[in-house]
Amino acid sequence: MYIFILKRILQSIPVLLAVSLFTFIMVRSAPGGPFDQDRNVPPAVIKNLNAHYHLDDPLWKQYVDYIMNLLHGDFGPSFKFQSHNVNDLILAGFPPTLELAFYATLFALVVGLTAGITASLKPNSLQDYVPMSSAMLGICLPSFVLGPLLLLIFGSWLQWLPVAGWGQIPGDKILPSITLGASYAAYIARISRGGMLEVLSQDYIRTARAKGLSPIRIVFVHALRGGITPVISFLGPAIAGLLAGSFVVETIFQIPGLGRFYVQAAFNRDYTMIMGCTIFFAFVIIVFNLLSDIILVYLNPKLRQQVSRGH
Amino acid sequence: MLSVKNLRVVFNTRNGTAVAVDDLSFELKAGEVLGIVGESGSGKSVACYSLLGLIPTPPGKIERGTAEFLGRDLLQMNESELRKIRGLKISMIFQDPMTSLNPYMRVVDQLIESVLEHQNLSKEEARQRAIKALTEVGIRDVDTRINEYPHQFSGGMRQRVMIAMALITEPQLLIADEPTTALDVTVQAQILALIKKLQQTHNLAVIFITHDLGVALQMADNIIVMEKGKLIEQGTTEKIFKQPAQAYTQKLLSAVLTTSKPTPSLAEKTEPPFLQVKQLKTYFPKFGGVFIKRLIGSEKAVDDISLTINRGEILGVVGESGSGKSTLGRSIMRLVDAQSGEILLEGKDLLNLSDSDLKKSRRNFQMIFQDPYASLNPRMTVFDTLAEPLLTHKLATQKNVVEQVNQLMDDVGLDRRFIRKYPHEFSGGQRQRIAIARAIALKPKLIIADEPVSALDVTIRAQILKLLLELTQKHQLTMLFISHDMSVVRYLCDRVLVMQKGKLVEEGETETLFSAPKESYTQQLLAAIPKL
Amino acid sequence: MQSELLSSPNLEQGVSLSQDALRRLRKNKMAIAGLFVLIFLIVIALLTPWIAPYSYDGQDLALGVTSPSQQHWLGTDALGRDQLTRVMYGSRVSLAVGFIATAVALLIGVLWGATAGFLGGRADAIMMRIVDVLYALPFTIFIILLTVIFGSSMLLLFLAIGAVEWLTMARIVRGQVLTIKRQEFVEAAVSMGFSPWQIISRHLIPNVLGPIIVYTTLTIPSVILLESFLSFLGLGIQPPQSSWGSLISAGVETMEEFPWLLIFPGLTLSITLFSLNFLGDGLRDALDPRSAKD
Repeated sequence: MYIFILKRILQSIPVLLAVSLFTFIMVRSAPGGPFDQDRNVPPAVIKNLNAHYHLDDPLWKQYVDYIMNLLHGDFGPSFKFQSHNVNDLILAGFPPTLELAFYATLFALVVGLTAGITASLKPNSLQDYVPMSSAMLGICLPSFVLGPLLLLIFGSWLQWLPVAGWGQIPGDKILPSITLGASYAAYIARISRGGMLEVLSQDYIRTARAKGLSPIRIVFVHALRGGITPVISFLGPAIAGLLAGSFVVETIFQIPGLGRFYVQAAFNRDYTMIMGCTIFFAFVIIVFNLLSDIILVYLNPKLRQQVSRGH
Repeated sequence: MLSVKNLRVVFNTRNGTAVAVDDLSFELKAGEVLGIVGESGSGKSVACYSLLGLIPTPPGKIERGTAEFLGRDLLQMNESELRKIRGLKISMIFQDPMTSLNPYMRVVDQLIESVLEHQNLSKEEARQRAIKALTEVGIRDVDTRINEYPHQFSGGMRQRVMIAMALITEPQLLIADEPTTALDVTVQAQILALIKKLQQTHNLAVIFITHDLGVALQMADNIIVMEKGKLIEQGTTEKIFKQPAQAYTQKLLSAVLTTSKPTPSLAEKTEPPFLQVKQLKTYFPKFGGVFIKRLIGSEKAVDDISLTINRGEILGVVGESGSGKSTLGRSIMRLVDAQSGEILLEGKDLLNLSDSDLKKSRRNFQMIFQDPYASLNPRMTVFDTLAEPLLTHKLATQKNVVEQVNQLMDDVGLDRRFIRKYPHEFSGGQRQRIAIARAIALKPKLIIADEPVSALDVTIRAQILKLLLELTQKHQLTMLFISHDMSVVRYLCDRVLVMQKGKLVEEGETETLFSAPKESYTQQLLAAIPKL
Repeated sequence: MQSELLSSPNLEQGVSLSQDALRRLRKNKMAIAGLFVLIFLIVIALLTPWIAPYSYDGQDLALGVTSPSQQHWLGTDALGRDQLTRVMYGSRVSLAVGFIATAVALLIGVLWGATAGFLGGRADAIMMRIVDVLYALPFTIFIILLTVIFGSSMLLLFLAIGAVEWLTMARIVRGQVLTIKRQEFVEAAVSMGFSPWQIISRHLIPNVLGPIIVYTTLTIPSVILLESFLSFLGLGIQPPQSSWGSLISAGVETMEEFPWLLIFPGLTLSITLFSLNFLGDGLRDALDPRSAKD
């Protein structure tokens, strides 16, 4: 099992390198440097700044330097906020984003699984149509429509929940988490319903019923194992979407997270920040994909044994 | 102990209401074995499932009937009452042990589940019971194997586990739904013997559902024959065997009796021999690994096989699953590439042809496949399917192709009016006729039939075999007939080849082989045929 | 001659699988409703330059924001621009990106997946490995990068979004091709000496089309969503051109006082997504007999 994990980690390294190279090339081929924005700065100063940040070195050298720094955990200084390191910005911005993603996922899992599993138990009945129609709603109301709507209703009109911030006022984490998690809840509801329906039609469920087992045991001990496999396959790659979604949610709810920093960095042409964030995001996505794969293998006894034999 | 009266079960589908079981009545005494025999659609399984409330109630519905078991009517019980009967008083075993066991749970957990659910035993006591049950069904190294998962057992072993699971709570009635149909012939015999033994030891009442009258005659004391939901005939085993009263029963019986080929062989030896296969080897590389596939060895599907077929002969190739018989057929058809060896059709080499020569030669050898559902393109009408080869190989022009297709339809006994219909609108037997028509359309020299009747109902089987026999005589065809079913082979083939694990075990004239088999494996295969 | 013989009244008419599927689809009211709404939106989008009440950049600074009225059915924004017009022009953008980017993804995905599936063996393994690796990359982020660097033109959006979506399409196509390839009727076609092209066109493609159509219909809303997402962040379509996303973004800023500036574009976007999703779901149910509601 450990060899398998190690192999996957090794496979991820070229991917990260490819990401960093691609990002580097893209960012550098953009017209205009970070300092050209400020029209008040005289050309001589620009020249000095460029030299200071090694922007006049040959491109390949800049890239190699960057990678060497990365390996030391140094993402370089932010071009825009010159007193800060990209490291610091990432370290400051990531925790709120991670927390937001966590709560959103929690919401999505709880609501989605409940809806999906309930729906699968009585297909084509009201118990099925109601959750699934709500799920359709969740898919078709994007976060940037849902968020403002929720803000309007619960923030302005009813005044039940705070409209901005993260961790400052009690309850300010509720609306952002729901906004981000809603469409994922919808997807999970649909996927878990499909997965459960598929499993419930399997022969071994018929055997379990013939043994006179209680319905609760049949659903939770026998069916669930197979039924949630597609949900887990979905969750790994979903992290990429959650991170992207955080850009929007953090903007709407004014959350000081990495998503918002990233969008700002994009506007400001803050090279190191863009690169740093991209690589960091790619890293997070790869880690979560790996976790999802590992869990999938762990849940399937056949795969588990194949893998522990060192293949 | 079980008395079923006037059972009627219907299914409400969007195409209308279908009657699955129509006015079925029977009795079962303690310790008795009842065989319920019928083909697909006979309602035999639905009847038994409905006793335990296991049919989905929309769309199914038990319209009428009573089923008295130990003084109470099963059909009137609600779900929680039925749950006390299922797995405790009445147990079931199913057809496919791979899909009927939970692949994610260890065998021990699946075994002790019913004990823990129904009976007041501790986990340790339940485990001891499980060990005893597994030993009784013939599993060795029980202490280790009990902690394994279903996929670590072979097909026959899994069925033994299922049986252990069903009997662990010491039920009074066992319902066995086609328990040996998915197993290899030699394993089938073992499982049937096991069930018989357990039935006697535990004085179990058994309802044995099967499509094979021969198996029922072996296992049961009394037999019920069903067709299209109705009870056709019932009686003791002896009476059904010696004096079947109904025509349908007689049809089933004749389909089961192993008869020899009714017409003489039309084989003629030629020089060079019609088809020669020399030292053919088809190996498949085996890849291991979950995410990175590496080569870890090869599977020797066809391991050094040599054979000869004479013109006009029907050669049977017999073997169980994994014997390589299908791969042999596909290798000769050039659908799969052999590693080494020679295949000579009328002296011409088939293996080293260029691509364009191969395409041209292909019309000389055609194949009939096993699965009538998968071997026809679902998006093409019968006409399209039959016309395509004729037009591609220029055997017909746009002007006369309709007439030629009509003649093919006549040849295989299909109504000409159906040529614009699609495969899904036909029955299995009709689809196989279409597949046969397609195979003979190009007037091939050699036909390879890969288990062409295995997926068909028993009564249909007989018709298709008769058709094949007629066609080979009418069109002077030479055929390689692949099957796992010894009695089918005996009916159709002049000579037989026995294969096991890729190797040739024995060959000879059909009747000689059947009456005096030399190899022990051949004897095993023959012994597995139900003795009546 | 042949068609005469084949249309003889003696012959029983067959019902093809496609006809069967269409019949099932017609019974699905939500899917048909979705289809009609979609057609309606497409027609409006196509006719917009002629039927829009105002021009999309026509400003009336004196007017400022107004609520829905007779002259301006959906009201006006801060620059006095008619909202109805802007939403209609926005639909042109969103639907264009939706269909064209999906077409790009379809083209690349089908070619890639079908080739991999058909060739099998090493070629297949390598091609799908590439897909797996690319799948792990954070594409949304890359698209943002690209729009930042190269500016956000429609062309860029078509290509960039298409370049992201083709991966899943390739996987689906390859999966389908592999499944069909293993079916015995394909083996039968090979054994009858048909040319590869004949096998592909008559046997593979017709049987692979179903899931591809379903997935394509379901990709369009994802693409529209992605474009709106980018526009919302200000990284997509730039003003004065309007996209639903940028309209929503502008609406958010003043949503407490002038909620309709947010609600109308938001509603239009959601209705479009609903229609496409219902239609796609309906197609999927129609083509897969297992999920039939009995």
